[in-house]
Amino acid sequence: MNYKRMIPWLLAAFALLAVWFGLRNDAFLYHQPVAEVLSVRQVRSTAEVDSNNNHDHQIRQRVRARFLNTNKRGQVVSFNNDYNTSEGIDFPLRSGQQVFLNHGAAGYQLNDAKRDTVTGVLLALVVLLLILFSGKHALVTMVSIALNTVVFYAGIHLELGSHGNGPWYLVVGMALLFTVLTVLFVIGPRSVAVCIASATILATTAAVLIGYAIMVSTGYKGIHIEQVKYVTQNPRLIFFAQIVIGSLGAVLDETSDISVAIFQLPAAAGQRFKAGMAIGRNVMGPLISVLFMIFMADTFTESILWLRNGNTIAYTVSWVMGLGFVQSLISAFGIVLAVPITSGLAALLAGRRQTAK
Amino acid sequence: MNSMLLLIIVLFALMLLVGGKQGGNSFLALCVNSLIIMVAVILMAGGFAPVWVALIASMIILATTIFFSSTDMEVAAPAFIAALVVMVALTALILYVDRYSAAAGFGSEDGEDLEGMSVAIGISFRQIGVAAGLMSTLGAIAEAAIAVAAGVNELDVDKDRVGIKRMGREITGTAINTLFFGFFGSFVGLFVWFGQLHYTLAVVLNNKIFVGELLDVLFSIIAVILTVPTTIWVVRHRQHAAKRQA
Repeated sequence: MNYKRMIPWLLAAFALLAVWFGLRNDAFLYHQPVAEVLSVRQVRSTAEVDSNNNHDHQIRQRVRARFLNTNKRGQVVSFNNDYNTSEGIDFPLRSGQQVFLNHGAAGYQLNDAKRDTVTGVLLALVVLLLILFSGKHALVTMVSIALNTVVFYAGIHLELGSHGNGPWYLVVGMALLFTVLTVLFVIGPRSVAVCIASATILATTAAVLIGYAIMVSTGYKGIHIEQVKYVTQNPRLIFFAQIVIGSLGAVLDETSDISVAIFQLPAAAGQRFKAGMAIGRNVMGPLISVLFMIFMADTFTESILWLRNGNTIAYTVSWVMGLGFVQSLISAFGIVLAVPITSGLAALLAGRRQTAK
Repeated sequence: MNSMLLLIIVLFALMLLVGGKQGGNSFLALCVNSLIIMVAVILMAGGFAPVWVALIASMIILATTIFFSSTDMEVAAPAFIAALVVMVALTALILYVDRYSAAAGFGSEDGEDLEGMSVAIGISFRQIGVAAGLMSTLGAIAEAAIAVAAGVNELDVDKDRVGIKRMGREITGTAINTLFFGFFGSFVGLFVWFGQLHYTLAVVLNNKIFVGELLDVLFSIIAVILTVPTTIWVVRHRQHAAKRQA
């Protein structure tokens, strides 16, 4: 292999190591006590059977750990860690692992695992792979995502300013900003960008309106909107916000595929429309399944918990997986509707541009 | 009438209207995949090893997604092979990362949902987490593999290297957008929660649920990045083999 071609890969490996090393030694940034586990000894294992006849083991570890920050830095502490072998809410400790500790009445106790190293290293791996495989193109993608994250953060803060009862047009404003920002970055300020942005907004709006109309007209029957996770107030608004934002990327992907292809096609409007429909038909199925798998996989852990706790399959599917299905279905409306909307819009706009020439 | 049923009927009608026969096929693929997902969850809950169930279910889901949405064998076959290769590599990565993340199961924010439930269910939540992480990437893998295989078939694999490279980059870029918005979407509720309770950045970056979700998105992105060159390689290999035979 060519040595010159290996240099970027070596640099990437080095950068990854540097990130890992940095995050392993960032305890000084935390106020909470951080410790590194030195050794672990299993001191007890008790068999457990719950009321649903699930067999499990409760295990107690005696853990020795060394403080990495605070004024106790360097000192060694011992504590117990209890966990179930199914690791539902707790987990075993390994030597070398870094953890947060709490100081309670009974001395220092495990608070939680320190997870910044594994997250940071994987994030760095993604960024490096992107740069290695996509070069400059990767940079554009990353800047656009960073900007969108800022918009997301600001939007959530505005929502909080209204005490979790934010108006629906806050979600709309966020979605519009996401769309315009992403299109500007991915496509640039070209006439085709106008087509992509408008088609995306139209398709998403149509999808949400149809979904909303269906749910209201059937009185949300069979949909357990109160099961939206982590939401205390206004679950309907949050649920629709999740649908709009969640499907935006997929719809944008599709509208740009179709529009870019149509704008390059020197043909009559009718033919352009047909070409757009043909492209859309090919991509809509796989795009729907991208979101479908993400939304459904999110429900696995809780579904299995419910099934093991003596709930029936029908009950679990309806209560736990139900919202994942609804989210996938309404997102799919947007992806399907985007095909004719984009094809029509692009055929018209591209035609106007060419006659203007 | 049940809301869910009406939503399903409307989607079916829309897909038929817009996509014709191919739309109907895509809808059928979704139905098959829903069924497989449900069966997989039931098997995992029934005590079968979650990772093995996920691997087998994943193969079937990839096959239905790819072969139902693309009738052209020159596209579907290499896409499927590439998707399987990426799936195996990804399983290894997820198994390794989830060993160190301690992010499986439930976080303290899930407390309300766990009321009255026993979490000592005798099945490893870490393995369930690996299964969910793997299966959440499948749509993205299939989509990228089909797009790349279709694109490469239109270009000349040996002569138009620049074109192929650019196509790969564009597919990666748009797929990452799709995945990140999907991530933001599933995150609105949790972020409002974080904000209401004034979680600091340090707390969020170590939060069990946040880390679990972020890792899943990163797995999907890595899957897409790997799918692009893998698919190109598979197509090139097949075309060379075909040329040698001719």
